[in-house]
Amino acid sequence: MALAIKAEGIYKSFYTGWLKRSEKQVLRGIHLEVEKGEIFGILGPNGAGKTTLLSILSTLLFPDRGQIEILGMDSRREAHRIREKVNLSSGNANFLWSMTVEENLHFYGMLYGLAGHRRNQKVKELISLLGLEEHRGVSFDRLSTGMKQRLALAKSLLNDPSVLFLDEPTVGLDPSVSVWIRQQIQMIQKERGMTILLTTHNMREAERLCDRIAFLKDGRILTAGDPDSLKRMVRLGDLIKIEFEGRVEEDELGRIEGVINYSVTNGLCEVIVDEGERRLGPLITKLSEDGVKIKRVTLGQTDLEEVFLEFSKSSNSDMGLYLQELDHDQAKYL
Amino acid sequence: MTKRNIFSLFEILFWPVVGFFSVGLLTTFLDLDPNRTGFILIGIISMSVIQVCQIDVAEALLYDLWAKSMKHTFIAPIHPHQLLLGSWIIGVIRSLVVFLLLALFSLFVFDFDFLRPGVFPLSLFLLGLFLTSASVGMTVCILILVFGYKAEVAAWSLSSLMALICGIYYPISILPTPLPEIARGIPLTYFLAYLRSFYGFQEGFQSLLRWGFGLAGFYLIVEVILFRIVLHRAKRTGMILKLSE
Repeated sequence: MALAIKAEGIYKSFYTGWLKRSEKQVLRGIHLEVEKGEIFGILGPNGAGKTTLLSILSTLLFPDRGQIEILGMDSRREAHRIREKVNLSSGNANFLWSMTVEENLHFYGMLYGLAGHRRNQKVKELISLLGLEEHRGVSFDRLSTGMKQRLALAKSLLNDPSVLFLDEPTVGLDPSVSVWIRQQIQMIQKERGMTILLTTHNMREAERLCDRIAFLKDGRILTAGDPDSLKRMVRLGDLIKIEFEGRVEEDELGRIEGVINYSVTNGLCEVIVDEGERRLGPLITKLSEDGVKIKRVTLGQTDLEEVFLEFSKSSNSDMGLYLQELDHDQAKYL
Repeated sequence: MTKRNIFSLFEILFWPVVGFFSVGLLTTFLDLDPNRTGFILIGIISMSVIQVCQIDVAEALLYDLWAKSMKHTFIAPIHPHQLLLGSWIIGVIRSLVVFLLLALFSLFVFDFDFLRPGVFPLSLFLLGLFLTSASVGMTVCILILVFGYKAEVAAWSLSSLMALICGIYYPISILPTPLPEIARGIPLTYFLAYLRSFYGFQEGFQSLLRWGFGLAGFYLIVEVILFRIVLHRAKRTGMILKLSE
Protein backbone atom coordinates (compact mmCIF):
# COMPACT_ATOMS: atom_id res chain seq x y z
CA MET A 1 0.00 0.00 0.00
CA ALA A 2 1.32 3.45 -0.93
CA LEU A 3 1.98 5.93 1.82
CA ALA A 4 0.11 9.20 2.14
CA ILE A 5 2.19 10.48 5.05
CA LYS A 6 5.69 9.53 6.03
CA ALA A 7 7.43 11.28 8.90
CA GLU A 8 10.81 10.33 10.25
CA GLY A 9 12.49 11.65 13.36
CA ILE A 10 10.38 14.75 13.90
CA TYR A 11 11.56 16.97 16.71
CA LYS A 12 10.03 20.29 17.69
CA SER A 13 10.69 22.67 20.54
CA PHE A 14 9.17 26.04 21.31
CA TYR A 15 11.09 28.83 22.97
CA THR A 16 9.80 31.61 25.17
CA GLY A 17 11.47 34.75 26.48
CA TRP A 18 13.96 37.06 24.81
CA LEU A 19 16.86 37.27 27.23
CA LYS A 20 16.33 34.17 29.32
CA ARG A 21 15.08 31.73 26.78
CA SER A 22 13.33 28.64 28.04
CA GLU A 23 12.80 25.64 25.84
CA LYS A 24 9.78 23.40 25.75
CA GLN A 25 10.24 20.18 23.85
CA VAL A 26 6.95 19.28 22.24
CA LEU A 27 7.84 16.49 19.83
CA ARG A 28 10.68 14.08 20.50
CA GLY A 29 11.45 11.90 17.52
CA ILE A 30 8.14 11.08 15.89
CA HIS A 31 8.06 8.32 13.30
CA LEU A 32 4.81 7.93 11.48
CA GLU A 33 3.56 6.21 8.36
CA VAL A 34 -0.01 6.59 7.21
CA GLU A 35 -1.27 4.61 4.26
CA LYS A 36 -3.36 6.11 1.51
CA GLY A 37 -7.08 5.84 2.14
CA GLU A 38 -6.96 5.12 5.85
CA ILE A 39 -8.28 7.05 8.81
CA PHE A 40 -5.40 7.37 11.21
CA GLY A 41 -5.93 8.73 14.69
CA ILE A 42 -3.41 10.47 16.90
CA LEU A 43 -4.67 9.95 20.39
CA GLY A 44 -3.32 11.69 23.41
CA PRO A 45 -4.03 13.93 26.37
CA ASN A 46 -3.94 17.72 26.22
CA GLY A 47 -0.40 18.97 25.71
CA ALA A 48 0.81 15.71 24.19
CA GLY A 49 1.84 17.46 20.97
CA LYS A 50 -1.04 16.41 18.74
CA THR A 51 -1.78 19.83 17.25
CA THR A 52 1.92 20.56 16.81
CA LEU A 53 2.38 17.31 14.90
CA LEU A 54 -0.64 17.99 12.73
CA SER A 55 0.53 21.54 12.05
CA ILE A 56 3.95 20.28 10.98
CA LEU A 57 2.42 17.67 8.68
CA SER A 58 0.12 20.27 7.14
CA THR A 59 3.10 22.61 6.41
CA LEU A 60 1.95 25.30 8.88
CA LEU A 61 4.94 24.73 11.11
CA PHE A 62 8.53 23.75 10.45
CA PRO A 63 10.04 20.92 12.46
CA ASP A 64 13.44 21.45 14.10
CA ARG A 65 14.60 18.14 12.69
CA GLY A 66 13.19 15.32 10.64
CA GLN A 67 11.94 14.41 7.20
CA ILE A 68 8.35 14.55 6.06
CA GLU A 69 6.81 13.34 2.86
CA ILE A 70 3.17 13.98 2.06
CA LEU A 71 1.90 12.04 -0.97
CA GLY A 72 5.52 11.46 -1.91
CA MET A 73 6.37 15.17 -1.85
CA ASP A 74 8.98 16.70 0.43
CA SER A 75 7.23 18.98 2.90
CA ARG A 76 9.94 21.66 2.81
CA ARG A 77 10.79 21.81 -0.87
CA GLU A 78 7.32 21.11 -2.25
CA ALA A 79 5.15 22.74 0.41
CA HIS A 80 3.12 24.71 -2.11
CA ARG A 81 2.23 21.61 -4.12
CA ILE A 82 1.38 19.77 -0.91
CA ARG A 83 -0.99 22.55 0.12
CA GLU A 84 -2.92 22.01 -3.12
CA LYS A 85 -3.57 18.42 -2.06
CA VAL A 86 -4.26 18.75 1.66
CA ASN A 87 -6.63 20.65 3.87
CA LEU A 88 -7.27 21.16 7.54
CA SER A 89 -10.27 21.44 9.79
CA SER A 90 -9.90 22.09 13.47
CA GLY A 91 -12.15 22.10 16.48
CA ASN A 92 -13.09 25.52 17.86
CA ALA A 93 -13.18 26.71 14.28
CA ASN A 94 -12.48 30.36 13.54
CA PHE A 95 -13.32 32.10 10.31
CA LEU A 96 -13.89 35.66 9.19
CA TRP A 97 -16.66 36.64 11.57
CA SER A 98 -18.47 39.25 9.50
CA MET A 99 -18.92 36.94 6.52
CA THR A 100 -21.74 34.46 6.08
CA VAL A 101 -21.30 30.72 5.68
CA GLU A 102 -21.58 31.06 1.93
CA GLU A 103 -19.23 34.04 1.72
CA ASN A 104 -16.62 32.28 3.84
CA LEU A 105 -16.72 29.28 1.52
CA HIS A 106 -16.44 31.54 -1.53
CA PHE A 107 -13.54 33.43 0.06
CA TYR A 108 -11.56 30.29 0.85
CA GLY A 109 -12.60 28.82 -2.50
CA MET A 110 -10.81 31.76 -4.13
CA LEU A 111 -7.69 31.02 -2.09
CA TYR A 112 -7.83 27.49 -3.50
CA GLY A 113 -8.01 28.83 -7.03
CA LEU A 114 -11.69 28.11 -7.62
CA ALA A 115 -13.48 30.64 -9.78
CA GLY A 116 -16.79 31.31 -11.48
CA HIS A 117 -19.19 28.45 -12.07
CA ARG A 118 -16.82 25.87 -10.61
CA ARG A 119 -16.66 27.71 -7.29
CA ASN A 120 -20.41 28.28 -7.19
CA GLN A 121 -21.03 24.59 -7.78
CA LYS A 122 -18.51 23.53 -5.17
CA VAL A 123 -19.90 25.89 -2.52
CA LYS A 124 -23.44 24.73 -3.26
CA GLU A 125 -22.38 21.08 -3.07
CA LEU A 126 -20.60 21.52 0.26
CA ILE A 127 -23.43 23.53 1.81
CA SER A 128 -25.77 20.70 0.88
CA LEU A 129 -23.36 17.95 2.01
CA LEU A 130 -22.86 19.46 5.45
CA GLY A 131 -26.52 20.43 5.93
CA LEU A 132 -25.82 24.16 6.00
CA GLU A 133 -28.64 25.25 3.68
CA GLU A 134 -30.60 27.06 6.35
CA HIS A 135 -27.51 28.86 7.60
CA ARG A 136 -25.93 29.84 4.30
CA GLY A 137 -26.77 33.51 4.85
CA VAL A 138 -25.87 33.61 8.55
CA SER A 139 -22.68 35.41 9.53
CA PHE A 140 -20.03 33.28 11.21
CA ASP A 141 -20.27 35.03 14.57
CA ARG A 142 -23.95 34.11 14.82
CA LEU A 143 -23.47 30.40 14.17
CA SER A 144 -23.70 27.78 16.91
CA THR A 145 -20.57 25.78 17.74
CA GLY A 146 -21.93 22.81 15.82
CA MET A 147 -22.63 24.88 12.73
CA LYS A 148 -19.17 26.44 12.92
CA GLN A 149 -17.74 22.93 12.95
CA ARG A 150 -19.79 21.97 9.91
CA LEU A 151 -18.50 25.06 8.14
CA ALA A 152 -14.95 24.09 9.08
CA LEU A 153 -15.49 20.66 7.55
CA ALA A 154 -17.04 22.19 4.43
CA LYS A 155 -14.09 24.56 4.05
CA SER A 156 -11.66 21.66 4.40
CA LEU A 157 -13.27 19.90 1.43
CA LEU A 158 -13.11 22.86 -0.96
CA ASN A 159 -10.08 21.52 -2.81
CA ASP A 160 -11.12 17.85 -2.69
CA PRO A 161 -8.03 17.06 -0.62
CA SER A 162 -6.24 13.76 -0.92
CA VAL A 163 -5.12 14.14 2.69
CA LEU A 164 -7.39 15.72 5.26
CA PHE A 165 -6.12 16.79 8.66
CA LEU A 166 -8.75 16.98 11.38
CA ASP A 167 -7.64 18.53 14.64
CA GLU A 168 -10.04 17.52 17.41
CA PRO A 169 -13.03 17.70 15.07
CA THR A 170 -15.68 17.21 17.77
CA VAL A 171 -14.16 19.12 20.68
CA GLY A 172 -16.73 21.22 22.53
CA LEU A 173 -19.68 19.74 20.65
CA ASP A 174 -22.67 18.12 22.31
CA PRO A 175 -22.96 14.33 21.85
CA SER A 176 -25.60 14.38 19.12
CA VAL A 177 -23.63 16.84 16.99
CA SER A 178 -20.43 14.88 17.63
CA VAL A 179 -22.10 11.72 16.39
CA TRP A 180 -23.34 13.53 13.28
CA ILE A 181 -19.88 14.97 12.56
CA ARG A 182 -18.29 11.53 12.97
CA GLN A 183 -20.82 10.00 10.60
CA GLN A 184 -20.07 12.70 8.05
CA ILE A 185 -16.34 12.13 8.36
CA GLN A 186 -16.80 8.40 7.80
CA MET A 187 -19.15 8.93 4.89
CA ILE A 188 -16.93 11.52 3.22
CA GLN A 189 -13.87 9.31 3.63
CA LYS A 190 -15.71 6.32 2.21
CA GLU A 191 -17.06 8.22 -0.77
CA ARG A 192 -13.88 10.08 -1.65
CA GLY A 193 -11.31 7.58 -0.50
CA MET A 194 -9.19 10.29 1.05
CA THR A 195 -6.61 9.78 3.75
CA ILE A 196 -7.63 11.29 7.06
CA LEU A 197 -5.30 12.03 9.91
CA LEU A 198 -7.19 13.12 12.96
CA THR A 199 -6.19 14.08 16.44
CA THR A 200 -8.41 13.57 19.42
CA HIS A 201 -8.31 12.96 23.12
CA ASN A 202 -11.63 11.18 22.88
CA MET A 203 -10.83 7.47 22.99
CA ARG A 204 -14.25 6.38 21.81
CA GLU A 205 -14.07 8.72 18.86
CA ALA A 206 -10.75 7.25 17.86
CA GLU A 207 -12.02 3.71 18.29
CA ARG A 208 -15.11 4.35 16.20
CA LEU A 209 -13.49 6.33 13.42
CA CYS A 210 -9.96 5.13 12.95
CA ASP A 211 -8.47 2.20 11.10
CA ARG A 212 -5.26 2.69 13.04
CA ILE A 213 -4.35 4.70 16.08
CA ALA A 214 -1.14 6.04 17.54
CA PHE A 215 -0.86 6.97 21.19
CA LEU A 216 1.02 10.22 21.66
CA LYS A 217 2.26 11.33 25.05
CA ASP A 218 4.87 13.91 25.98
CA GLY A 219 5.86 14.27 22.35
CA ARG A 220 6.50 10.59 21.79
CA ILE A 221 4.43 7.96 20.07
CA LEU A 222 3.99 5.21 22.63
CA THR A 223 2.62 2.70 20.20
CA ALA A 224 0.39 2.35 17.17
CA GLY A 225 -1.87 -0.18 15.57
CA ASP A 226 -5.50 -0.97 14.93
CA PRO A 227 -7.75 -0.70 17.99
CA ASP A 228 -8.12 -4.44 18.45
CA SER A 229 -4.43 -5.21 18.23
CA LEU A 230 -3.68 -2.42 20.69
CA LYS A 231 -6.08 -3.97 23.15
CA ARG A 232 -4.48 -7.34 22.66
CA MET A 233 -1.06 -5.80 23.09
CA VAL A 234 -1.74 -4.58 26.62
CA ARG A 235 -3.35 -7.87 27.61
CA LEU A 236 -5.75 -6.16 29.95
CA GLY A 237 -8.35 -8.64 28.90
CA ASP A 238 -12.10 -8.49 28.54
CA LEU A 239 -14.36 -9.31 31.46
CA ILE A 240 -17.09 -11.92 30.99
CA LYS A 241 -19.64 -12.01 33.82
CA ILE A 242 -21.84 -15.08 34.03
CA GLU A 243 -24.71 -15.45 36.48
CA PHE A 244 -25.43 -19.13 36.94
CA GLU A 245 -27.08 -21.88 38.92
CA GLY A 246 -25.25 -25.07 39.76
CA ARG A 247 -21.59 -25.73 40.41
CA VAL A 248 -18.66 -24.37 38.44
CA GLU A 249 -15.43 -26.34 38.51
CA GLU A 250 -12.94 -23.55 39.06
CA ASP A 251 -9.93 -25.62 38.00
CA GLU A 252 -11.64 -26.33 34.68
CA LEU A 253 -12.08 -22.61 34.07
CA GLY A 254 -8.36 -21.99 34.29
CA ARG A 255 -7.70 -24.55 31.58
CA ILE A 256 -9.94 -22.93 28.98
CA GLU A 257 -7.93 -21.26 26.23
CA GLY A 258 -7.61 -17.50 26.51
CA VAL A 259 -8.58 -17.28 30.19
CA ILE A 260 -6.28 -14.90 32.05
CA ASN A 261 -7.97 -14.86 35.45
CA TYR A 262 -11.26 -15.86 37.08
CA SER A 263 -13.29 -15.82 40.27
CA VAL A 264 -16.46 -17.58 41.29
CA THR A 265 -18.67 -16.29 44.12
CA ASN A 266 -22.35 -16.80 45.00
CA GLY A 267 -23.67 -17.66 41.57
CA LEU A 268 -21.49 -15.13 39.79
CA CYS A 269 -18.54 -16.18 37.72
CA GLU A 270 -16.17 -13.46 36.51
CA VAL A 271 -13.68 -14.51 33.87
CA ILE A 272 -11.01 -12.29 32.33
CA VAL A 273 -10.12 -13.46 28.84
CA ASP A 274 -7.77 -12.12 26.18
CA GLU A 275 -10.50 -11.60 23.57
CA GLY A 276 -14.04 -11.51 24.84
CA GLU A 277 -15.94 -12.08 21.63
CA ARG A 278 -13.73 -15.01 20.61
CA ARG A 279 -13.69 -16.75 24.00
CA LEU A 280 -17.31 -16.24 25.02
CA GLY A 281 -18.70 -19.12 22.93
CA PRO A 282 -16.28 -21.84 24.07
CA LEU A 283 -16.63 -20.69 27.68
CA ILE A 284 -20.43 -20.93 27.67
CA THR A 285 -20.25 -24.29 25.88
CA LYS A 286 -17.85 -25.65 28.48
CA LEU A 287 -19.98 -24.50 31.40
CA SER A 288 -23.14 -25.89 29.81
CA GLU A 289 -21.43 -29.22 29.20
CA ASP A 290 -20.57 -29.30 32.93
CA GLY A 291 -24.28 -28.96 33.74
CA VAL A 292 -24.17 -25.34 34.79
CA LYS A 293 -27.39 -23.42 34.10
CA ILE A 294 -26.51 -20.05 32.61
CA LYS A 295 -28.88 -17.24 33.66
CA ARG A 296 -27.23 -14.14 32.31
CA VAL A 297 -24.05 -13.25 30.46
CA THR A 298 -22.44 -9.81 30.07
CA LEU A 299 -19.30 -9.00 28.16
CA GLY A 300 -17.29 -5.96 29.17
CA GLN A 301 -14.66 -5.14 26.60
CA THR A 302 -11.51 -3.20 27.28
CA ASP A 303 -11.78 0.25 25.84
CA LEU A 304 -8.99 2.34 24.44
CA GLU A 305 -8.92 4.55 27.49
CA GLU A 306 -7.73 1.64 29.60
CA VAL A 307 -5.26 0.68 26.90
CA PHE A 308 -3.92 4.21 26.78
CA LEU A 309 -3.56 4.38 30.54
CA GLU A 310 -1.62 1.13 30.50
CA PHE A 311 0.69 2.46 27.80
CA SER A 312 1.13 5.69 29.71
CA LYS A 313 2.42 4.02 32.86
CA SER A 314 5.92 4.85 33.94
CA SER A 315 8.86 3.18 32.31
CA ASN A 316 9.50 1.29 35.56
CA SER A 317 6.41 -0.79 35.05
CA ASP A 318 6.36 -4.00 33.08
CA MET A 319 4.45 -2.25 30.34
CA GLY A 320 7.02 0.47 30.22
CA LEU A 321 9.76 -2.09 29.70
CA TYR A 322 7.61 -3.75 27.10
CA LEU A 323 7.29 -0.44 25.30
CA GLN A 324 10.99 0.19 25.40
CA GLU A 325 11.46 -3.12 23.67
CA LEU A 326 8.84 -2.19 21.14
CA ASP A 327 10.22 1.24 20.38
CA HIS A 328 12.75 0.31 17.71
CA ASP A 329 10.75 -2.27 15.85
CA GLN A 330 7.57 -0.29 16.03
CA ALA A 331 9.25 2.79 14.70
CA LYS A 332 9.56 0.91 11.45
CA TYR A 333 5.99 -0.33 11.62
CA LEU A 334 4.46 3.07 12.40
CA MET B 1 -15.54 41.06 3.45
CA THR B 2 -16.57 44.59 4.29
CA LYS B 3 -20.17 44.31 3.18
CA ARG B 4 -21.50 44.14 6.72
CA ASN B 5 -18.46 45.47 8.49
CA ILE B 6 -19.37 49.01 9.40
CA PHE B 7 -15.84 49.82 10.56
CA SER B 8 -14.53 49.22 7.07
CA LEU B 9 -17.05 51.63 5.62
CA PHE B 10 -15.93 54.20 8.18
CA GLU B 11 -12.34 53.68 7.13
CA ILE B 12 -13.17 54.03 3.47
CA LEU B 13 -15.57 56.97 3.53
CA PHE B 14 -16.40 58.48 6.89
CA TRP B 15 -12.97 59.33 8.28
CA PRO B 16 -11.50 60.61 4.98
CA VAL B 17 -14.50 62.88 4.41
CA VAL B 18 -14.60 64.12 8.00
CA GLY B 19 -10.83 64.70 8.02
CA PHE B 20 -10.98 66.49 4.70
CA PHE B 21 -13.71 68.91 5.78
CA SER B 22 -12.12 69.55 9.18
CA VAL B 23 -8.88 70.62 7.58
CA GLY B 24 -10.52 72.32 4.60
CA LEU B 25 -12.78 74.45 6.79
CA LEU B 26 -9.78 75.37 8.93
CA THR B 27 -8.07 76.78 5.84
CA THR B 28 -11.22 78.83 5.14
CA PHE B 29 -11.25 80.16 8.72
CA LEU B 30 -7.55 81.06 8.51
CA ASP B 31 -8.30 82.82 5.23
CA LEU B 32 -5.30 81.25 3.47
CA ASP B 33 -4.47 82.14 -0.11
CA PRO B 34 -5.55 79.54 -2.74
CA ASN B 35 -2.07 78.05 -3.15
CA ARG B 36 -1.58 77.55 0.59
CA THR B 37 -5.08 76.06 0.79
CA GLY B 38 -4.06 73.71 -2.04
CA PHE B 39 -0.85 72.84 -0.20
CA ILE B 40 -2.83 71.71 2.80
CA LEU B 41 -5.59 69.98 0.81
CA ILE B 42 -2.96 67.96 -1.08
CA GLY B 43 -1.70 66.86 2.32
CA ILE B 44 -5.05 65.77 3.74
CA ILE B 45 -6.11 63.98 0.55
CA SER B 46 -2.75 62.18 0.29
CA MET B 47 -3.11 61.14 3.89
CA SER B 48 -6.60 59.75 3.26
CA VAL B 49 -5.51 57.87 0.14
CA ILE B 50 -2.57 56.31 1.97
CA GLN B 51 -4.64 55.40 5.04
CA VAL B 52 -7.27 53.60 2.97
CA CYS B 53 -4.83 51.83 0.64
CA GLN B 54 -2.33 50.76 3.29
CA ILE B 55 -5.03 49.41 5.60
CA ASP B 56 -6.28 47.23 2.74
CA VAL B 57 -2.79 45.80 2.27
CA ALA B 58 -2.48 45.26 6.03
CA GLU B 59 -5.90 43.62 6.08
CA ALA B 60 -4.38 40.74 4.12
CA LEU B 61 -3.41 39.61 7.62
CA LEU B 62 -5.39 41.90 9.92
CA TYR B 63 -8.75 40.23 9.28
CA ASP B 64 -7.20 36.84 9.91
CA LEU B 65 -5.61 38.23 13.05
CA TRP B 66 -8.94 39.50 14.37
CA ALA B 67 -10.82 36.36 13.32
CA LYS B 68 -8.03 34.05 14.55
CA SER B 69 -8.17 32.31 11.20
CA MET B 70 -4.57 32.86 10.13
CA LYS B 71 -3.81 29.16 9.64
CA HIS B 72 -6.60 28.75 7.11
CA THR B 73 -4.98 31.37 4.90
CA PHE B 74 -1.51 29.93 5.18
CA ILE B 75 -2.57 26.34 4.57
CA ALA B 76 -4.12 27.42 1.27
CA PRO B 77 -1.93 27.07 -1.84
CA ILE B 78 -1.48 30.79 -2.23
CA HIS B 79 1.86 32.58 -2.42
CA PRO B 80 2.42 35.50 -0.03
CA HIS B 81 2.96 37.85 -2.96
CA GLN B 82 -0.44 36.87 -4.40
CA LEU B 83 -2.07 37.62 -1.06
CA LEU B 84 -0.39 41.01 -0.74
CA LEU B 85 -0.79 41.97 -4.37
CA GLY B 86 -4.50 41.11 -4.31
CA SER B 87 -5.02 43.20 -1.19
CA TRP B 88 -3.04 46.07 -2.72
CA ILE B 89 -5.15 46.08 -5.88
CA ILE B 90 -8.32 46.27 -3.76
CA GLY B 91 -6.67 49.07 -1.79
CA VAL B 92 -5.81 50.96 -4.97
CA ILE B 93 -9.39 50.74 -6.20
CA ARG B 94 -10.88 51.90 -2.91
CA SER B 95 -8.41 54.69 -2.34
CA LEU B 96 -8.94 55.86 -5.91
CA VAL B 97 -12.64 56.18 -5.11
CA VAL B 98 -11.71 58.16 -1.99
CA PHE B 99 -9.39 60.38 -4.03
CA LEU B 100 -12.02 61.10 -6.69
CA LEU B 101 -14.59 61.92 -4.04
CA LEU B 102 -12.29 64.25 -2.12
CA ALA B 103 -10.96 65.84 -5.32
CA LEU B 104 -14.55 66.66 -6.29
CA PHE B 105 -15.17 68.18 -2.85
CA SER B 106 -11.96 70.20 -3.27
CA LEU B 107 -13.14 71.56 -6.56
CA PHE B 108 -16.70 72.41 -5.61
CA VAL B 109 -16.31 73.39 -1.94
CA PHE B 110 -12.82 74.91 -1.79
CA ASP B 111 -12.31 75.79 -5.44
CA PHE B 112 -9.10 73.80 -5.66
CA ASP B 113 -8.44 71.97 -8.94
CA PHE B 114 -6.42 68.77 -8.61
CA LEU B 115 -6.21 68.44 -12.37
CA ARG B 116 -4.19 71.62 -12.81
CA PRO B 117 -0.87 69.69 -13.12
CA GLY B 118 -2.45 67.47 -15.83
CA VAL B 119 -3.62 63.87 -15.87
CA PHE B 120 -0.19 62.28 -16.32
CA PRO B 121 1.60 64.09 -13.43
CA LEU B 122 -1.42 63.44 -11.21
CA SER B 123 -1.36 59.74 -12.17
CA LEU B 124 2.35 59.58 -11.29
CA PHE B 125 1.62 61.23 -7.96
CA LEU B 126 -1.17 58.75 -7.23
CA LEU B 127 1.02 55.82 -8.25
CA GLY B 128 3.61 57.11 -5.81
CA LEU B 129 1.00 57.21 -3.04
CA PHE B 130 -0.16 53.68 -3.87
CA LEU B 131 3.38 52.32 -3.77
CA THR B 132 4.03 54.12 -0.49
CA SER B 133 0.82 52.58 0.87
CA ALA B 134 1.95 49.12 -0.22
CA SER B 135 5.16 49.69 1.66
CA VAL B 136 3.39 50.80 4.85
CA GLY B 137 0.85 47.97 4.64
CA MET B 138 3.58 45.39 4.18
CA THR B 139 5.45 46.80 7.17
CA VAL B 140 2.30 46.24 9.24
CA CYS B 141 2.06 42.65 7.95
CA ILE B 142 5.71 42.03 8.79
CA LEU B 143 5.24 43.42 12.31
CA ILE B 144 2.13 41.24 12.80
CA LEU B 145 4.07 38.10 11.87
CA VAL B 146 6.83 39.04 14.30
CA PHE B 147 4.94 40.55 17.24
CA GLY B 148 1.41 39.22 16.74
CA TYR B 149 -1.46 41.14 18.32
CA LYS B 150 0.88 43.76 19.76
CA ALA B 151 1.59 45.00 16.24
CA GLU B 152 -2.05 45.68 15.44
CA VAL B 153 -1.70 49.31 16.48
CA ALA B 154 0.87 49.83 13.71
CA ALA B 155 -1.93 49.63 11.14
CA TRP B 156 -3.14 53.08 12.19
CA SER B 157 -0.08 54.69 13.69
CA LEU B 158 2.56 54.06 11.01
CA SER B 159 0.93 56.12 8.29
CA SER B 160 0.18 58.99 10.70
CA LEU B 161 3.76 59.01 11.90
CA MET B 162 5.01 58.96 8.33
CA ALA B 163 2.69 61.84 7.41
CA LEU B 164 3.99 63.87 10.33
CA ILE B 165 7.59 63.45 9.23
CA CYS B 166 6.96 63.90 5.50
CA GLY B 167 5.39 67.35 5.88
CA ILE B 168 1.76 66.55 5.34
CA TYR B 169 0.56 70.10 6.12
CA TYR B 170 3.87 72.00 6.10
CA PRO B 171 7.26 71.97 4.36
CA ILE B 172 9.76 69.60 5.97
CA SER B 173 12.21 72.47 6.34
CA ILE B 174 10.32 73.63 9.47
CA LEU B 175 10.86 70.26 11.19
CA PRO B 176 13.51 70.03 13.94
CA THR B 177 16.70 68.09 13.23
CA PRO B 178 17.01 65.16 12.46
CA LEU B 179 13.44 64.86 11.15
CA PRO B 180 14.12 66.58 7.77
CA GLU B 181 16.92 64.09 7.13
CA ILE B 182 14.63 61.21 8.03
CA ALA B 183 11.95 62.67 5.75
CA ARG B 184 14.40 62.55 2.85
CA GLY B 185 14.50 58.79 3.27
CA ILE B 186 10.73 58.43 2.84
CA PRO B 187 9.25 58.39 -0.68
CA LEU B 188 6.08 60.24 0.34
CA THR B 189 8.16 63.39 0.93
CA TYR B 190 9.13 63.46 -2.75
CA PHE B 191 5.65 62.68 -4.08
CA LEU B 192 4.11 65.48 -2.00
CA ALA B 193 6.84 67.88 -3.12
CA TYR B 194 6.29 66.80 -6.74
CA LEU B 195 2.57 67.63 -6.81
CA ARG B 196 3.01 70.81 -4.76
CA SER B 197 5.63 72.00 -7.22
CA PHE B 198 2.81 72.49 -9.75
CA TYR B 199 1.22 74.95 -7.34
CA GLY B 200 4.31 77.06 -6.85
CA PHE B 201 5.95 75.37 -3.87
CA GLN B 202 9.56 74.27 -4.21
CA GLU B 203 11.13 72.13 -1.45
CA GLY B 204 14.59 72.51 -2.91
CA PHE B 205 14.85 68.82 -3.95
CA GLN B 206 16.03 67.67 -7.35
CA SER B 207 14.77 64.67 -9.35
CA LEU B 208 11.70 64.29 -7.19
CA LEU B 209 10.12 61.38 -9.07
CA ARG B 210 13.41 59.53 -9.45
CA TRP B 211 14.01 59.71 -5.72
CA GLY B 212 10.41 58.94 -4.86
CA PHE B 213 10.04 55.89 -7.08
CA GLY B 214 13.60 54.77 -6.41
CA LEU B 215 13.05 54.75 -2.67
CA ALA B 216 9.57 53.21 -2.99
CA GLY B 217 10.96 50.41 -5.17
CA PHE B 218 13.88 49.85 -2.81
CA TYR B 219 11.63 49.59 0.24
CA LEU B 220 9.24 47.24 -1.55
CA ILE B 221 12.08 44.90 -2.53
CA VAL B 222 13.43 44.96 1.03
CA GLU B 223 9.96 44.30 2.42
CA VAL B 224 9.27 41.40 0.07
CA ILE B 225 12.50 39.81 1.29
CA LEU B 226 11.69 40.66 4.92
CA PHE B 227 8.17 39.27 4.55
CA ARG B 228 9.56 35.95 3.34
CA ILE B 229 12.00 35.89 6.23
CA VAL B 230 9.40 36.65 8.90
CA LEU B 231 6.94 34.17 7.37
CA HIS B 232 9.64 31.52 7.59
CA ARG B 233 10.29 32.60 11.17
CA ALA B 234 6.57 32.48 11.99
CA LYS B 235 6.45 28.90 10.73
CA ARG B 236 9.43 28.08 12.89
CA THR B 237 8.22 29.78 16.07
CA GLY B 238 4.58 28.78 15.70
CA MET B 239 3.37 32.38 15.45
CA ILE B 240 0.82 31.43 12.78
CA LEU B 241 -0.68 28.90 15.16
CA LYS B 242 -0.61 31.33 18.08
CA LEU B 243 -2.50 33.85 15.98
CA SER B 244 -5.10 31.19 15.16
CA GLU B 245 -5.96 30.29 18.76
